[in-house]
Amino acid sequence: MAALPKRIIKETERLISDPVPGITAYPDEANLRAFTVTMNGPDSSPYEKGIFDLELYLPDDYPMCPPKVRFLTKIYHPNIDKLGRICLDVLKDNWSPALQIRTILLSIQALLASPNPDDPLANDVADDWKKDEPKAIEVAKEWTAKYAKAKE
Amino acid sequence: MGNTAGKEARPRSNTYSSTSSTLNSYDINRRNTIFGNVNDYKKSRKQEERDRQREDHYSKLIVKYDQTVDGGYLAPFGTYKSNLDFNVDIVRELIIQRKLAPFYTPLQDFDDDWTEDELLKILSQLTLHSIEIAYDDEEIDDIDDHKIHKSSNFYKRQEQKMKLKLLMEKIKSLQKDEENKFFDIKLEGKDDNLPSKDLLLKLYKNPIECPICFLYYPNNLNLSRCCLQPICTECFVQIKRLDPHPPHDQQEQSQGNELPHTLISEPSNCPYCAMNDFGVIFEKDLDIKTGISGIKPGTYHNDLIHDPTQDNINEIKDDLKNLNIESSEVFSSSPSSSPLKASPIKSPTPASQKEESLREKRRRRSSIPANSPKVITIDQIRPDWELKLASAKSKLARKSAAASAIHASNLIINPSTDLAEYDTRRRNSNSNTRFQTIEDRMIEEALRLSIIDEEERVRRQGTPQSESSNNT
Repeated sequence: MAALPKRIIKETERLISDPVPGITAYPDEANLRAFTVTMNGPDSSPYEKGIFDLELYLPDDYPMCPPKVRFLTKIYHPNIDKLGRICLDVLKDNWSPALQIRTILLSIQALLASPNPDDPLANDVADDWKKDEPKAIEVAKEWTAKYAKAKE
Repeated sequence: MGNTAGKEARPRSNTYSSTSSTLNSYDINRRNTIFGNVNDYKKSRKQEERDRQREDHYSKLIVKYDQTVDGGYLAPFGTYKSNLDFNVDIVRELIIQRKLAPFYTPLQDFDDDWTEDELLKILSQLTLHSIEIAYDDEEIDDIDDHKIHKSSNFYKRQEQKMKLKLLMEKIKSLQKDEENKFFDIKLEGKDDNLPSKDLLLKLYKNPIECPICFLYYPNNLNLSRCCLQPICTECFVQIKRLDPHPPHDQQEQSQGNELPHTLISEPSNCPYCAMNDFGVIFEKDLDIKTGISGIKPGTYHNDLIHDPTQDNINEIKDDLKNLNIESSEVFSSSPSSSPLKASPIKSPTPASQKEESLREKRRRRSSIPANSPKVITIDQIRPDWELKLASAKSKLARKSAAASAIHASNLIINPSTDLAEYDTRRRNSNSNTRFQTIEDRMIEEALRLSIIDEEERVRRQGTPQSESSNNT
């Protein structure tokens, strides 16, 4: 594999030495561009107390291209689909090379706190959300309790 | 969209293939009589021209030790190995005019505790270019490799890839030659093109970290025009428009087909504050003028007051005046940038003080409009974006025209003939007149499209600017 750019090395070091509260991100030993991420569901959201697994990959063009991030844990959220793909502007056209792994993960955490059913990725979830929000939130809580459990 | 039409058409083209040997030769003959070999000749000439331009482009990305501006170079260090399609001539010119910071060799790390000797030692080991990172022999995965059926384009592309690989090898070895020359001359230590110790220390004793590549550069970087954040030139030339794409939000889902004229390409936003029309300004923070249109880098001494630097200071003062800044304030607040007071090397300005002065300068300055002559925008160094947008539009137009042609020819057969009847007809070689006419029509349509295409292309080449601006 090609040598790792300094930026990725430094970002990784800083992520480990100065972690974001509620988020962990460690590079895989086999491929230092691939990260295993865990994220705590934000307080006073339907995802509270859940611990979600994600995977994050830094493509060759990073930081000129956004990292690829995906939820591995099942989650009931209008902007996250069955495959765990995330609909978030900064992961697409609004990416900026001044953003970092850290900031992107914080944005995703913020998305959990404020779902946006008007720009859906999972259409069925978004419909539920718009029709009956309290019920959708209940389902999200159920899913969180069922799938996003802490591992021993 | 065209997609569905294509799927319908595919099985049918297989049934054609039973008679395809005659049809194909027929097709080829007709094409040849129309376009003939003149076109082939033109094509190869154009290809040669393109190859030559590409070679020229890449050869200007070679870092040369004797082409310096204020201690930096005219070509990037090689932090990035892709997106190097910026206009090299324009960038070189901007650097020589001191409108854009030169490509400085970055330090991978920096520690405030380093002594000058340690720093100098590290600096003396810097190479011109990070050859290994930039030109590693990574195979670029091509989706066509996995296809069973390989189109004629596939072989053309293979040939192109091979050529590019050879060119890269050549550039790499030229850079290595340059590196060896640089190394030998460093050993001899006599060439005035090498930076003096004073120059190196001046540049690198208080480096700043570029917020994008996280590498350390002399505190002499470009600043974003809007929020005055630093960005090294190597990162700056990486930032470009997104590829032409259909507009978002409004009619995204309402209609599946992408109309060619709706494709857009927008200028990049500032990576730091997301202000539109990203551009940078470069105001030298260091009073150095060495290399091209300056003094020899080897003759630079910190304690010597020579006219070029004096001129330079005045120049900067003038520049600052243009920006409505009290030059005296700026200079008094950052003692290290005045050569008269610069008690050299021994007393480096504490980083905090320097930062403060920088901040002070920033506070005093507001954002500068994108059309100011001082601002360099990303479109300025990639002026071909209009052409790209136009060609993306015409490509899409071509695709949808081809799709509708296929679709139209489907409609001719389907309603009147059921498949069984059609099949018996096909087998009966005597009565394939209907079949022939369909084939004829399709060929005619294809010819018509490619003639239009060719005319369009010739026209576009004749007047690239006006054409593209018409389209936008």
